[in-house]
Amino acid sequence: MTVFRRIPQWELLLIVLTLCAAAWSSNLSPYYLSVDQILLSTRQFVYPGILALGLAVVVVLGEIDISLASILAFGAVLFSKCSEVGMAIWLATPLVILACAALGAFNGVLVTRLRLPSLAVTLGTMGAYRGLAFIVGSEYGYTSFDSSYTFIGSTKLFGALPVSFLVFLALAAGVIFLMHKTVFGRRCYAVGNNKEAAWIAGIDVANLKTQAFALGGGLAGIASLVWIGQYGSARGDNADGSILLVVTAVVLGGIDINGGRGSMVGVVLALFLLGTIRNGMGLANMAGPTQTVVLGTLLIIGVLRPLIARGIARLRQQLASSGHAGN
Amino acid sequence: MSAENAVIAAAAPRRSFGRFALKLRVSGVVAFLVILGAIFAVLSPQFLNAQNLSAIVSNAAILSIVAAAQAVVLITRNLDVSVGSIMGFAAYLTADFAAQHQGIGPILILMPMIIGGMLGALNGLLVAYGKVSPLIATLGTMSIYRGLTYLYARGQEVTSNMLPRWMLETVDLRVGGFPVLVILAVVVVAILGAFLRFFPVGRRIYAVGSNPVASAYFGLRTERIVLLAYVICGVLCGLAGFLYAARVGTVTVILASGWELTSLAAAVVGGVSVTGGSGLVAGAALGAVVLATIDNGLVLLRVPEFWRMFIQGSAIVGAATADVIIGAQIRKSLQSRRRGTI
Amino acid sequence: MTDVSPSPALRVEGITKTYGSSRALSDVSFEVAKGRVHALVGENGAGKSTLVKIVTGIIGADHGKVFLGGKPVRFHNPVDARRAGLAAVYQDPKLFPHLDVAENITMGNAPVGRFGMLDRKQMYALSQAAFDELGVSLDPHALTAGLSVAEFQFVEIARAIISDLQLLILDEPTSALTPAEVEKLFRIVRDLRDQGKSVMLITHRLEELDLIADDVTILRDGAHVGTYPVSEVTRADIVQKMVGRPLDSLFAQRTPGNAGAEALRVEGLGLAGQFSDVSFSIRAGEIVGMAGLVGSGRSEIAQSCFGMTPPSRGEVYLNGKRVKPRSPRQMLGLGLAYLPEDRDAQGLIMAESIMANVTLPIVGELARLGVLDTAAQRAVAEEALATYDVRATGIDQIVSLLSGGNRQKVAFARWLATKPSVLILDEPTHGIDVGSKAQVHHIIARLADTGLAILVISSDLPEVLAISDRILVIAEGELVDDIEAATATQETIMMAATRSTGETVNVG
Repeated sequence: MTVFRRIPQWELLLIVLTLCAAAWSSNLSPYYLSVDQILLSTRQFVYPGILALGLAVVVVLGEIDISLASILAFGAVLFSKCSEVGMAIWLATPLVILACAALGAFNGVLVTRLRLPSLAVTLGTMGAYRGLAFIVGSEYGYTSFDSSYTFIGSTKLFGALPVSFLVFLALAAGVIFLMHKTVFGRRCYAVGNNKEAAWIAGIDVANLKTQAFALGGGLAGIASLVWIGQYGSARGDNADGSILLVVTAVVLGGIDINGGRGSMVGVVLALFLLGTIRNGMGLANMAGPTQTVVLGTLLIIGVLRPLIARGIARLRQQLASSGHAGN
Repeated sequence: MSAENAVIAAAAPRRSFGRFALKLRVSGVVAFLVILGAIFAVLSPQFLNAQNLSAIVSNAAILSIVAAAQAVVLITRNLDVSVGSIMGFAAYLTADFAAQHQGIGPILILMPMIIGGMLGALNGLLVAYGKVSPLIATLGTMSIYRGLTYLYARGQEVTSNMLPRWMLETVDLRVGGFPVLVILAVVVVAILGAFLRFFPVGRRIYAVGSNPVASAYFGLRTERIVLLAYVICGVLCGLAGFLYAARVGTVTVILASGWELTSLAAAVVGGVSVTGGSGLVAGAALGAVVLATIDNGLVLLRVPEFWRMFIQGSAIVGAATADVIIGAQIRKSLQSRRRGTI
Repeated sequence: MTDVSPSPALRVEGITKTYGSSRALSDVSFEVAKGRVHALVGENGAGKSTLVKIVTGIIGADHGKVFLGGKPVRFHNPVDARRAGLAAVYQDPKLFPHLDVAENITMGNAPVGRFGMLDRKQMYALSQAAFDELGVSLDPHALTAGLSVAEFQFVEIARAIISDLQLLILDEPTSALTPAEVEKLFRIVRDLRDQGKSVMLITHRLEELDLIADDVTILRDGAHVGTYPVSEVTRADIVQKMVGRPLDSLFAQRTPGNAGAEALRVEGLGLAGQFSDVSFSIRAGEIVGMAGLVGSGRSEIAQSCFGMTPPSRGEVYLNGKRVKPRSPRQMLGLGLAYLPEDRDAQGLIMAESIMANVTLPIVGELARLGVLDTAAQRAVAEEALATYDVRATGIDQIVSLLSGGNRQKVAFARWLATKPSVLILDEPTHGIDVGSKAQVHHIIARLADTGLAILVISSDLPEVLAISDRILVIAEGELVDDIEAATATQETIMMAATRSTGETVNVG
């Protein structure tokens, strides 16, 4: 029971922190509390958010994929190629998503069939896929996308509501449903908690992991569609360095880096928190580097969470035992 | 049973199989380097001239120090992706200090090493005592260290005319025909290698990565040893950052960004196992030479620069695969011996 | 009690250790005399390993004292113990595979020369001297990763003798060795004894007592039965003292029902290095016990049938059809379920709820289009809770908060939810309290009555005798006996489980 009780607590904390950050931001800038500004600010969080959803699934299984941002770059470049040959967007989109899912699956195959540590594999493919993106595209990038390609990433409904944000919300709902309401998610948590016991209970662990890696890759493909619309360009170095934000969201969202624990809702909430903080820092004219330092610090606080939680629990126990004996 | 065992016994590898595999791995790197060199030599006539070869080893020199530093951490079954940020942080602070104190002498070289050691110690504390996954911890500090460098620099950079003359001149010196950087790198890697091989602490660094359970049984203080590995890594990264700054002259805040991947690639290509306990710092340095050779060859063959990233990444995966396959062979040879074969 | 010298090498006094509700050791006292080889014997789970762990400081005792050379000691870890002259060598030696032999031998107290540098020359010389003393031809320069298990043990022993060794503990050292290696090991043990050092030997192979031991201490159910000079007791005496447990009144003696068609048959099953040429069959409604010493290959045979470690030779027939076990998933689908011995690590997912655990293998069948059917899951879990009398606050309770017995019932419920036709149970009552034990036995009997074919692996001989229709005895990876439970006794099983060993040694 305690485990169940603890997780919502973390989510509650994330919500409270988000509200605090929002309050702080509105103090900093009179523009903050306008709905338009907040909605617009969500745009820059959509693509890392989608990557974080994919990474969260992989991390629940006890693995990691730090090549996701490189897969995004590959997807963006592939979109540019499709646009170049004049392919219709409804054909290009599934094609790119499939190609990106294949790159993810390749990571999964290396991890499960060759039993390589996922960190080493994806560290390697992080470089390799980005290189591949450059090789497929060119050094100079591509900016003359057909407007149908940039619709998702650039359109704003009612002047302020980005379509890409709606896409993110839909994907988030989908991943939450997938991980908490379907057989696939159930098995992912079981494997992340105890790989061996799950295998003995008849779960095809290798297959499941490969599927999770493929899902992460596929989501990165969707993220690349958002990217090209938002920035109007595709180049091998797209989204370079964004993996920090993505990993931070997952860890801060309460997903145990060793697998098996944490909810997808937490990841989404963590993204809102990070978005609010970053938006506030932007409004306060804080430099990008400051934001990076804050992000890095949040990441480390996120992983030290169990340590902090244990400290709090011990403190609570001491208080309880000094108060009155028993329960 | 006995009939089955007899078959296994006949197929069982020799006792020294493990050592043989290790030798195979190291000589594999050398062989790879030779083949690579041969291919480039055939494709490009300039490749084998003395000037070009000297350029390769000069380019490899600083990377080989960082790769050796990374190797120390890898051997303990951890990793450090903040090496590039440590280099940048230490280099910028030191260069800025030197720009303001023109008269300072070679004692300056201690400064980046101390800074690097402190940053490495923070990594080590998080990993060894905070029990944080090494990737997450150093990913966090990677951005913190780099961000702090930006904040400190406030958009400025230190240009070569602000640096002490001796700093820039020394790195371009040649001693007995060899670039001083190469000599320095060889000395550093040799000292580090000797430290790991000839001092009890060095062997413990291997022991911790080789078998954490046994380490506890042997009463080794695992946390301290891991912390030490990170400190060593930090000190060497500080040194490497300083050398890099002196070599390029202009010190910017993005100095050595991306080196985390390159150093890991060099170490892994050089036969340092990502699963700990195995590998030599000299191998990591050799891996740096391999990468520098590839870079050089690609330039000579006019292959676009971005192929490098693809090759580096593939090299990590390829080398890790080779390690796992060799490891599996060793395990298999052990398992087949489990129920007595003599 | 025996002719011990004035100040024994080791004396334990009133050692008691409990784990939760089960008592691993209760009030154990005995002495190991100087310059003698002292054997420690007992059934699986009699408390031998726990005793070694307490003596070497890996775990602490609840009560009792340990004296080394007459002085009271309390070690906090194996390193302290080694400093005091007490070294233990385990069945699976803990060494550093990437380092060479001499480095392993000297790790922790390596000879140091100038500038605090390792004195490598001295290191190799020391190791070579230790090997010379032991009469072992091993190269100190060799990489540890390539050694055999016997060589691993020689390295550990060399490691022990380079410091001031008083007492060497060997924990089942011979179970993975060939006869020739055993002979070599025993020669070393005798040499050590002749130098006045003491050796404590934990063993399952009773025939080794006559070969090597001077004294023998017998443990049974965590209690000290007695310590005798080997010359004064026969092997039959020892077996009788080891197994002399009263048949628990809680064990309802089984009256065999009507066995149906053959459900599981294995023929000539073998797995390299683990077991070979195992053949048996189980019919529907039959309970077959599988007895044997730990490490004899019992679990490995079961795991091979379940596809965890696919067999390298032989055939498996399930309900008359030939199958090739490849994975647990496949075998579960075919109707064979296996309840692993290490329930907490392999059998259950401790951090998840009872419902999640019970429904895990069938969660796909309970779902509609891949979407979880929570109502159906709850129904299955609720039913399981009621059927197997699991004491819990509800189906949402986390499994790690349950007692051992209740966890086991959850594990049962999980496997039965897959509706298997053959059920293999590996130590189903290990580490659970007496009350739950009886319940588990009832469940097993009831399941057999519904037509399940059940194979029960157990180290608890009275249990095997009480609940089985037939008993298979495994020794050294071979099936050595297949007896009707009605005609078997604890002694006949134990003799069978240890007899085969004697033959193997004589062959070598």
